[in-house]
Amino acid sequence: MDAIIQIENVHKYFRGGIHALRGVSLEVGKGEVVVIVGPSGSGKSTLLRCINRLEQYEEGKIVVDGIPLDSAANINAVRQEVGMVFQSFNLFSHMRVIDNLTLAQRVVRKRPLEEAKAVGMDLLAKVGIPDKADAFPAQLSGGQQQRVAIARALAMNPKIMLFDEPTSALDPEMINEVLEVMLDLAREGMTMVVVSHEMGFSRAAATRVIFMDEGQIVEQGSATQIFGAPTQERTKAFLSKVLHH
Amino acid sequence: MKSNPKKRVDAAPKTIISITGNDPNMRMDAWWWLVAAVVVVTFLLVVFQPDPYQRILIYVLDGIGLTIGVTVISFILTLIAGMIGGLGRLSKNRIISGAASLYVELIRGIPLLVQLMWWYFAFPAIIRDTGKALNIGFMANYLPDGTIMAIIGLVICYAAYMSEIYRAGIQSIPKGQMEAARSLGMTYVQAMRYVILPQAIRVILPPVGNEFVALLKDSSLVSAVALADLSRRGREFASNQALPIQTWMMVALLYLILTLVSARIVGWIERKTKFER
Ligand SMILES: Nc1ncnc2c1ncn2[C@@H]1O[C@H](COP(=O)(O)OP(=O)(O)OP(=O)(O)O)[C@@H](O)[C@H]1O
Ligand SMILES: [Mg+2]
Repeated sequence: MDAIIQIENVHKYFRGGIHALRGVSLEVGKGEVVVIVGPSGSGKSTLLRCINRLEQYEEGKIVVDGIPLDSAANINAVRQEVGMVFQSFNLFSHMRVIDNLTLAQRVVRKRPLEEAKAVGMDLLAKVGIPDKADAFPAQLSGGQQQRVAIARALAMNPKIMLFDEPTSALDPEMINEVLEVMLDLAREGMTMVVVSHEMGFSRAAATRVIFMDEGQIVEQGSATQIFGAPTQERTKAFLSKVLHH
Repeated sequence: MKSNPKKRVDAAPKTIISITGNDPNMRMDAWWWLVAAVVVVTFLLVVFQPDPYQRILIYVLDGIGLTIGVTVISFILTLIAGMIGGLGRLSKNRIISGAASLYVELIRGIPLLVQLMWWYFAFPAIIRDTGKALNIGFMANYLPDGTIMAIIGLVICYAAYMSEIYRAGIQSIPKGQMEAARSLGMTYVQAMRYVILPQAIRVILPPVGNEFVALLKDSSLVSAVALADLSRRGREFASNQALPIQTWMMVALLYLILTLVSARIVGWIERKTKFER
């Protein structure tokens, strides 16, 4: 398997002595869809944010698509290849949807405006809201905003997409429209690392489910294995809580 | 689509709302009426009481020009210096943020008048003394240009306050905006330029506008360092002609026109740049 993300023994400490990641190692292959689950505070977001260096880590090594995350130039190079979708969407609120989609294409990828717009419009059609190009983010529903956020990341033609609880800020009726877009991406062979407790998505798309607790990977396997027959006590305890909901 | 995006809380002071109700257009009209009233009073005085009001106006006219010129130039420089100071205070580099904080704390602790004195009298004296000690002729004979020294003094003082406004404005932008920009591969400078500052500027517009009006009024202090601004010309006329009441009334009216009109322009720009969040 061709590892496009290699994480080796990463430790992360926050101010105040919080040891958020305790020696995490993980390899993600090209085209894999890895779903991370685990209790609040277990370090899921921190791990995800280390992959594109939104968070620094004190120990260990991360290599993305052959580029080690060790210099400012490399970090920017990696970020251009890695799209990220946040729980709170984080659309640029002063810009129309189309400008959200073209900004990074223009200033980072140096694409001409017309080309960037064409890419943006294609992606808006793909995520199902081609009519919202001229809207401001505040005029969109949460589900629509998150789909724009996904399109914005895709506009950079990333090789990897990271999702940090993309549906947990959404009203229930909007969760599916976002999951649909993510499922499409998975089917097209995008490499994805997804923090999400949406088991339907995991069952349909995950090549691997990882259970994290207290800054460590406790257990991993297929969705059927992890959700159906977990081997570790901590996994069982966590799943019993989540499944009740 | 969300049916009704939350209405923005209006940043206008409460007093204004209570006087003229909640419709922003009505409010604008009411305040333009005040501007008009002050202009009309001034106009009537000048036309129907040309002696002394027209004489006063003609005498102080160049002072008005100087006041506006010094204020506008100082304000533009303050906007730039304040941005540098604000970004400096937010820098992760301890030396840069420490230096910026020290500057802000020192400057805010010294009255503007004293700062102006310092730039006009003390600073040139230091240069002259140094020039004499080192035998450098042009420094030993250095004479300050009053206008330049006044502008330096105003800018260095106001930029300290302005950098605090910038800092608060930048900090009011949710962290996720910077993270989203960086995750798309933008550099820190690109993220600031295209994402953070455009949003922060809309947030800080009301306090920045207030700073302009405050600077306009505080520019009257430059009369203390021999600059012939509006208030200095007024003082000259009042003491030459022994007409304190009329002169100072005219000067006050002229300042009022300047400040009221600038406040209206600031309000107009604010409305133009408002956007839904
Ligand atoms: N910026 C920060 N400063 C200090 N501590 C932090 C910071 N971010 C996270 N932590 C701590 O690091 C640990 C891991 O946090 P993280 O956000 O990665 O958890 P998570 O698994 O994503 O949880 P959740 O499901 O609530 O999002 C927690 O103990 C958290 O309190
Ligand atoms: Mg999290």
